[in-house]
Amino acid sequence: MYYLLNKWNYILKIIICQILYGLELIVFFCYNMKVINLYFMRLNILIGGRAGQGINRASVIIAETLIKTGYYTFSYRDYPSIIRGGHNFNILSVSDQPIASHESVLDVIIALDKNTILIHQSKLKPEGIILSYKDFDGLGLNTNVALAGALIKLLGIDSKLLISIIKDTIKNETAVTAVEQGYQNQDNKYNLKPLKNVISVSSGSKAVATGALNSKIDLYFSYPMTPATGVPEILAKDQLANQCLVFQPEGEIAAVNMALGASFSGARTMVGTSGGGFDLMSEGLSLQGMSQIPLVVYLASRPGPATGLPTHSSQSDLGIALHAGHGEFPRVVVAPGDPTEAMEKVNEAFYLSEKFGVLSILLSDKHLAESEFSTSEKIKKPLIVKVNRPVPGRGVVKVSSYETDSDGLTTEDADLAVKNAKNRLKKYEAIKKECQKFEMIKFYGNKNSQNLIIGWGSTKGAIIDAIAGEDFKFLQVLYLKPMSDKIKAELAKAHNVILVEDNLTGQLGRLIREKTGFKIEKRILKYDGRPFLSDKLKQELLNKIK
Amino acid sequence: MSTDKPGVELMTSSEITWCPGCPDHIILESARRALLSLMDQGYQRDNFTMTTGIGCHGKIFDYLNISGFYCLHGRPIPTAMGIKMGNPNLEVITFAGDGDTYSEGMAHFIHACRFNPDMTLFVHDNQSFSLTTGQATPTSQLGFKTKFEPLGTYNSPLNPIHLALSAGASFVARCNAKDILHTQQIMEQAIKHKGFAFVEIIQDCIVFNLYANNQDRFMYKIPAGDNDLTQAMALAQEYDYNNGQGKIPIGVFYAKERPTLDSQWPQLIDLKNKKVGWKGLKK
Repeated sequence: MYYLLNKWNYILKIIICQILYGLELIVFFCYNMKVINLYFMRLNILIGGRAGQGINRASVIIAETLIKTGYYTFSYRDYPSIIRGGHNFNILSVSDQPIASHESVLDVIIALDKNTILIHQSKLKPEGIILSYKDFDGLGLNTNVALAGALIKLLGIDSKLLISIIKDTIKNETAVTAVEQGYQNQDNKYNLKPLKNVISVSSGSKAVATGALNSKIDLYFSYPMTPATGVPEILAKDQLANQCLVFQPEGEIAAVNMALGASFSGARTMVGTSGGGFDLMSEGLSLQGMSQIPLVVYLASRPGPATGLPTHSSQSDLGIALHAGHGEFPRVVVAPGDPTEAMEKVNEAFYLSEKFGVLSILLSDKHLAESEFSTSEKIKKPLIVKVNRPVPGRGVVKVSSYETDSDGLTTEDADLAVKNAKNRLKKYEAIKKECQKFEMIKFYGNKNSQNLIIGWGSTKGAIIDAIAGEDFKFLQVLYLKPMSDKIKAELAKAHNVILVEDNLTGQLGRLIREKTGFKIEKRILKYDGRPFLSDKLKQELLNKIK
Repeated sequence: MSTDKPGVELMTSSEITWCPGCPDHIILESARRALLSLMDQGYQRDNFTMTTGIGCHGKIFDYLNISGFYCLHGRPIPTAMGIKMGNPNLEVITFAGDGDTYSEGMAHFIHACRFNPDMTLFVHDNQSFSLTTGQATPTSQLGFKTKFEPLGTYNSPLNPIHLALSAGASFVARCNAKDILHTQQIMEQAIKHKGFAFVEIIQDCIVFNLYANNQDRFMYKIPAGDNDLTQAMALAQEYDYNNGQGKIPIGVFYAKERPTLDSQWPQLIDLKNKKVGWKGLKK
């Protein structure tokens, strides 16, 4: 009897093993033969044309239709600094799984002009499809929505949803007719079935604005500069309902000094700009350091030096975020990698600024600010930002750009100078301790892997998509200052360490070397003003561990 | 928070470090008297908030015992505007220098005239950078020789009164620092004015720009009555800031109220109605 049981047990084990092995073989086969679409569908759709043809509008409408059908999207915007003409395009990536990047190869090209076909055709997959403006002669400004209709049919999605979105946003009957014309003109190819995912969509700009509102922002000061302008425009739209005020002064120097004045009189205040404007604000950051008036600065980077590539993306301003402003004073520099993090980190920036009277810099870039991300993540409850300090209007309150005594009056006394300086240093220690409560670093991928990737900010999406199913561990640095003490141990544990940054000199690498003494030799750096493409990045990463 | 110097309301106990005989002492006293007079008329002491620039004038921050922000050089105007937007119930007063306002902070001066925030700007114009030991400012007389420009400045002085009028300032006045009563009067009038009030205070620098001193003999008081912009402009051009040329009109050149920054933004109107700053707003 006992023997029989054992025997059965043995047979059962073999059967289970065989089944598991079979499944593994199928997965392996699917993966290697690129039949991966069976369980991980991904399409890259390029929409291109001249500035003013409604490329971004078409992309937003298509993305909304897909999201409401249960698909995740990621939309990258690429445009020059011109208002009419030139060549603009969006790449819309679609998947049944969360994604946060675009790829180098295209499944569909939606061309609003001839140039789009000429420029991008070489990236089209052999089985790829071009939807062309040529098929919709005479539709004028409605060509974009007609092509959107054609795409929706190609994807196999019902037209009702798209039409209702067009009715809500464009409010023009001829646009609806154009959509229907586009839809009827096309055959279904991809057969995307509705999924049950509940997905929301946001750009980095929108998330920063939402995070500021969650922190009960009162005043936002900024001078127009791409790619930072998205935030004040979103905040300004509903400023009356949200009880806040967005003000455009004569320049960034005025903006930062006004902000400090407003914060002095008790308002929760934020300024926003890109690199060039941030340079101008430097004196204000230093004034913050002396006066210790709370201030949150949003820095959305683009490639420099100088005017550089004004509508493109870069991570080359980490250095100035860390060091701008003369003198020695504490600051917080935090870099979110996606809209969900942006919302949380803005709130933490406000919280820390108000609690410690410190400068908080939220570091983003064009790629994070202007790309549209989709997510089904839950949002954390925001921290309460309280203004709990003496303000003018009750008693005499004095703050100064000079070193001061306890009454806020000017002093040049050496002992007081030392005391004040030590207090500034002590404050930084307290901030560092407080930051331990927040997510200063995050890990993704294979947690036991010996291949460690280090990156920060908007490269997050491309890195996560690139390492899916591969033997990599990704360490995302969110707090650049103060920086997590845990990074050093991670570096020591890994066999291969690879730095990924969207800049020329590896600025995070330099910071890590300064903090840990560890020089990261393997680096993947990109500095053409364009963000990483996940498929290309994957190849580069694999090459680094060969 | 510092207490008043025993027996002297609105003064701190800080040691005053201006040169003996410097008209800054008189400007301080005029301002103190103006504020005391306004307090008698119902203004709240706690609502007075000043900003100051960097220069000799800026020391007033340490002497006048009211709330304030000792700003960066050139920036007391935008900082003051920020304070006003942070709490429109405050009476915001800016003390600035000629170098501060017309050199480093010129853009802010012009735009403040245009934005018309309800605040007051007093410019201590001694026609030289004196805290940095005597260089030329935009209002220094032609040919002013300094260690920095030993060949003499080649630039004709700027006329700030004319500029403020062209930029849309709703209150423009000039006074003589040495005339304590007149200065006090003009200061009160400026603070009461709804909108951006600009007062240019002509003062001697008894150490670094002797040539520009003692102009009292050219000064005359502008007769009372409302000037229109053309009349004000004509008056402004009577004096070109080169010493010894033309008469120097003293008094109010122009005063015409128009919608202010804080009376146009619904959010700021709301704060004023509720008599709170953003800090006191429930949301």
